[in-house]
Amino acid sequence: MVRLKSRYLLCEVNVSDRSQLLLLDDRAIMVAVKAAVARTHGDYGAAMCSIRFCVKYLNAHTGIVFLRFPKSCYKLLWSALPFITSVETRGQKIPCFLNCLHVGGTIRTCQKFLIRYNTQQLHRMLPKCKSEEEKRQVRKAILSCSLTESKEAFEEDSESEEEEEEEE
Amino acid sequence: MKQVEEKEEASVYQRVVLKNASPYHYLKVRLVLEDESTRLSAVELKYFIITGLKSLYGEVGAALNFDVLKYDEDTLTAFLRVYSRSLVKLWSSLTLLGSYQNKACAFRVLQVSPFLLALTGNSRDLQLD
Repeated sequence: MVRLKSRYLLCEVNVSDRSQLLLLDDRAIMVAVKAAVARTHGDYGAAMCSIRFCVKYLNAHTGIVFLRFPKSCYKLLWSALPFITSVETRGQKIPCFLNCLHVGGTIRTCQKFLIRYNTQQLHRMLPKCKSEEEKRQVRKAILSCSLTESKEAFEEDSESEEEEEEEE
Repeated sequence: MKQVEEKEEASVYQRVVLKNASPYHYLKVRLVLEDESTRLSAVELKYFIITGLKSLYGEVGAALNFDVLKYDEDTLTAFLRVYSRSLVKLWSSLTLLGSYQNKACAFRVLQVSPFLLALTGNSRDLQLD
């Protein structure tokens, strides 16, 4: 059985100013990663990046991004990610850094990890909630976390998590 | 290094294989330029090789440690020393280095060996009369 294997890197984009997070789009992240790889690993890295690299998923509300790399060279390209200092989008340079949370062989395993990670974040937020209303909403979000066929389910949880963080 | 033992009267053929014997690899290279009259100093040569590494392998490649042990300015021949793990990267970037100051150039790699002593003799230059 011959199968093209890839590695999916689950990364979190950290920006200092939360409102700028919404301006991100996948094309901008792709350009930023390619530029960083070309700077760090030269023509050799840029060629490896062109084989099967793409941004599979980007959530602008929470800053979660899935990057796909080929299995044979993902470690080299992963080593170039800490050199990304800013993402250029719509004429603005947003200073940020990419934090890698998980490496998975398929999108499904990354999705499962993301749901577990989001539930942990919600659990961590619960003691920090100020009002009863927020506590109720967070508990409801935790209970509704589950793996369904569409990605909308955990996108909603992430959005409610983001709203909770903003209300704090 | 293993000692070759003499058995009785007849000398026994013994093959000694050394793997990863030396931490360094030594290269003898010559730079061939289109314009014969240009002269490079040793520092310029080292910088030129670093720019080649940088274009092919990026910042990580440009950080590879290599030394120019001896340099002959008239024939543009140099002895380079590099760690064995970086040999492939250095050699491939020397191969793909094509132009010096917008003029065509080429690196001819004459000899490569893990031992410096091996670079003194060359069977290609041997005169058999």
